[in-house]
Amino acid sequence: MNDPESVNNSLSKPSDAEIVRRVIEGDINAFESLLVRYKGHVLEVVKRHVPYNEVEETAHDVFVRAYLSLPTFEKRSSFKQWLSTIAVRACHDFWRKRYRSREVPMSSLAEEHQEWLEKVVSNRSGQSFDDRNSQKKARELLDWALDRLSPGDRMVLELVYLEGLSGREAADLLGWSVANVKVRSLRARRKLRDLLA
Amino acid sequence: MKSLKKDYARLKDLLMRAYHEKGKSEVDELWQMRVMSHIRSLGPITSRKRYFMLFEQSVWRLAPVTCLLILVLAALLITLDFIPDYEMVKLLIDDPVEFTFVQLFGL
Repeated sequence: MNDPESVNNSLSKPSDAEIVRRVIEGDINAFESLLVRYKGHVLEVVKRHVPYNEVEETAHDVFVRAYLSLPTFEKRSSFKQWLSTIAVRACHDFWRKRYRSREVPMSSLAEEHQEWLEKVVSNRSGQSFDDRNSQKKARELLDWALDRLSPGDRMVLELVYLEGLSGREAADLLGWSVANVKVRSLRARRKLRDLLA
Repeated sequence: MKSLKKDYARLKDLLMRAYHEKGKSEVDELWQMRVMSHIRSLGPITSRKRYFMLFEQSVWRLAPVTCLLILVLAALLITLDFIPDYEMVKLLIDDPVEFTFVQLFGL
């Protein structure tokens, strides 16, 4: 038997498709419902790919793009999935802009990081990853290595290697072919290994 | 070889944990207001904008194919040594009547 409260909730809460329809018909304020519903999800996606101080601006950009692209939203996929593709592509565009403007620093790996890496990989350090300092160093090392990849290779590495998505899933998010994703994935992993070797 | 694989596996595990350990990101209400303010400034998505966007989408999809086609045609024209003016003058000299028909009716 259906719980009256949940039935009421489903009745009072419009679906994503319904809100999209209203926005396209001219009710701009209806878009705020989608913003509130999915801002957490978009922030989660964006924070994984861009620096901390750029998350807000990139997330802002994602919602503006989503608003402008609403007429192209096809109900084949869920709105959440569609929004995720916009978020991932916005992150990719962020790195492309940075790469073009050469804002990425090209310093070599600091000696302290090299030493730490050697110790941890050979498990000689005795430090657990839960140690705050280790976490910080690992993050810095990862950021350093990712900064040395092209924007496309970076995104593929993050999605496939670090997040564990399949080639097909990453290709759908990025709007690329599966073959392209697989080639980049292989190339990016090799580069990462060479950088950290 | 085995120890190298182990090292890489340990490294991968390390990097994955560093990747997922990124702190929570939250935004305040001001951020939400800014986003909505920006969206309101863009105005409603009118039918014209909608059709323009759909048109723009198909244009960009066809752009690479079009560029490739242009390059192929240009290469063909160069290799075939096709010079339209020269062909027209040759036609005029060889057969003025046919030339006139070509001019008038595009035959």
